[in-house]
Amino acid sequence: MRIIVPIKQVPQSSDVKMDPVTGTMIRSGSVSVLNPLDLYAIETALRLKEEWNATVTVITMGPAGANRILKEALSMGCDEAVHLSAREFSGSDTYATSYILSKAIRKIGDVDLIITGERATDGDTAQVGPGIAAWLDIPVVSYVASVDITSPSEFTAERLIEEGYQQVQGTLPALLTVVKEIAEVRLPTLRGKKRSMNTTIPVWGVAEVDPDPLKIGLKGSPTRVVKIETPKVSRSCRTLVIGEELSTEVAVSELIEFLEARNLLGQEV
Amino acid sequence: MKHEYGTVTTAIVKQLRKIAGEPNVLVDRERMEGYSHDETSVEQYAAMPEVVVTPVTTSQVAQIMKLADTHRIPVTPRGAGSGLSGGAIPIYGGIVLSVEKMNSIVEIDEANLTVTAQAGIVTNELNNRLKELGLFFAGYPMSLETCMLGGNIAENAGGGKAIKYGVTGRYILGMEVVTPQGEILNLGGKNTKDVSGYDLKQLYIGSEGTLGVITEATIKLLGLPKTSSDLLVTFTTPQQAISVVPVLMKQGIIPTSIEFMDYLSTRISCDYLNESLPIEGVGALLLIEIDGIDEAVVEQQLIQVGDLCMEQGAIEVYIAEDANNRERVWSVRRAIAEAIKVYSPIQSLEDIVVPIGSIPKVIPFLDKLSKEHDVLIPCYGHAGDGNLHATVIKNPEFTMEHWLEVEPKILGELYEFIIGELGGKISGEHGIGLKRREFFKEFTSPIEYRVMEQIKRALDPNGIMNPGKILQ
Repeated sequence: MRIIVPIKQVPQSSDVKMDPVTGTMIRSGSVSVLNPLDLYAIETALRLKEEWNATVTVITMGPAGANRILKEALSMGCDEAVHLSAREFSGSDTYATSYILSKAIRKIGDVDLIITGERATDGDTAQVGPGIAAWLDIPVVSYVASVDITSPSEFTAERLIEEGYQQVQGTLPALLTVVKEIAEVRLPTLRGKKRSMNTTIPVWGVAEVDPDPLKIGLKGSPTRVVKIETPKVSRSCRTLVIGEELSTEVAVSELIEFLEARNLLGQEV
Repeated sequence: MKHEYGTVTTAIVKQLRKIAGEPNVLVDRERMEGYSHDETSVEQYAAMPEVVVTPVTTSQVAQIMKLADTHRIPVTPRGAGSGLSGGAIPIYGGIVLSVEKMNSIVEIDEANLTVTAQAGIVTNELNNRLKELGLFFAGYPMSLETCMLGGNIAENAGGGKAIKYGVTGRYILGMEVVTPQGEILNLGGKNTKDVSGYDLKQLYIGSEGTLGVITEATIKLLGLPKTSSDLLVTFTTPQQAISVVPVLMKQGIIPTSIEFMDYLSTRISCDYLNESLPIEGVGALLLIEIDGIDEAVVEQQLIQVGDLCMEQGAIEVYIAEDANNRERVWSVRRAIAEAIKVYSPIQSLEDIVVPIGSIPKVIPFLDKLSKEHDVLIPCYGHAGDGNLHATVIKNPEFTMEHWLEVEPKILGELYEFIIGELGGKISGEHGIGLKRREFFKEFTSPIEYRVMEQIKRALDPNGIMNPGKILQ
């Protein structure tokens, strides 16, 4: 069984600064890390690897430095890594990125399962995972909170939805996007790190991936960011100050009334 | 040293209001409750102040001290109240003088690599400001999110990075102190070397608020290391883990931290944080941090240290290089004290320190104490400097009376062993405060104790300055 985990290098969230004029993220000077939500995809893949003796390949598209997150994934126990890096790929939006990744996954071949994180913490679109599935024309199950491979060609999964959980059955190959709830992430080991240091990660460019040149990079990207702004949240507040004018008893019953009016208390009260 | 103290009358409160301003004087019980304890057991040690004052200037502190000295009112200086020895508890009532509102950075001097700040600044906020300039204050108390500079100095706080960087006192170049008589004393300055007379600054460092109120300090800064990474190493037994420490220290690599956590401490902290570290079948862990300016060098040192741990019988060496993983492993270490407190609020958090060669002898002794007295003693701490926080937890089946009987017995046996047999001390970084003063007297040579009493008497003849702490 072969499992592919597409991962992404993102700015460390504590480090992110926004340009107040353009509303875009200032990436220069910030420390890059493996997208924290991708760790859950890696962990899920590694657990399935142990169960099914699978091979786990991590793949990322990004500049030379992104090699580092692939090494981290190898330190955690992934078997192989592929780094997609070419000048022609830069400027790709989620449409072009998912296209390039899908081409690379096709090239790897014989893929049974693709697992991605729920979304990347920088762009926050959650589009690349499902995009890859669309390009590969395989089923996609998003927001997966648990998964069970029931046979070499079938799986069941639980999706986290607003009302609760949705049970899903499907056939492989498929793509799953997983949520935090799916597993506790393991730490990389020193042994894994030493192995990753001795592993040469292949870098694939245009020649290896062989994409349609019109579908990649800035010119292959239909997305236009018109404006980014922080949504304004307005809140109002009423303060109950217990003192000479307001007794604790009256204040508490006013608070209960306030909460009850908004259905924020359980039936017991 | 027995003193008669005056009480805080309405007239005194009125004068305090005149000095510090109406909103900076608290007298209602509910608001004063928070000032009646620190992080030691509330049930065992809390005491209410008669009044709480939160002055905003050094001159106000001086006037408050003058007033208190005139009327013989005890004054307990206070920072964040995150202390672990009862140092900020007003056991004789009187005035709690909290420096929480004196929290400004007075000057950052990049040419001299110093920062001058008021005592009430939160250490973490200070370091966040300094980080922007690529600098840091290397005193690193574990309670860094809450503790304040004044408390750090008054306790000479140590913490997780002391093996490489030493403790707070090493970085204090200058200090402003208000004496018990209300005089403002300026000590030191920005000089790296200074042997002009007695080193009074060092006398105030670690004096636990018993000699004066520290209001401001000038701190030596260091360049912020560009990179740091951690190893989390698991061992089958605590003995194995702790025995690695002296071997590690001989390697010529000085880690920033070598923290020890036994299974029980780690389990309690993980449960508290809802964290799942790989600790099943593990007897103890070491958390080792290495920092530096060159990433490749730090990586090489990590591997060297990790390999050594494996040679010494470690089960596994985990590596935390990015911010997320590093925060994950450190948060477990930092949360232990709080988690154990939630697990059992009635406990005695100890702070023993021994020469590093003797560390391996501590664990079997704690095991023996635990079995003999039927209590749990989770143990964790700064193994790299021989400073371990063994926490004696009240057995839930004990009555409070029985606990109060058995606790001093356990501590007495522990101190006897640590001091008598291993040449250690009863406190490495938390201080004597209220909690350990009886034992301090018992285990300190009479001459040393007498000299301390003479110093106290000379500087605070009326005994109003944090009375009942360190000395009985």
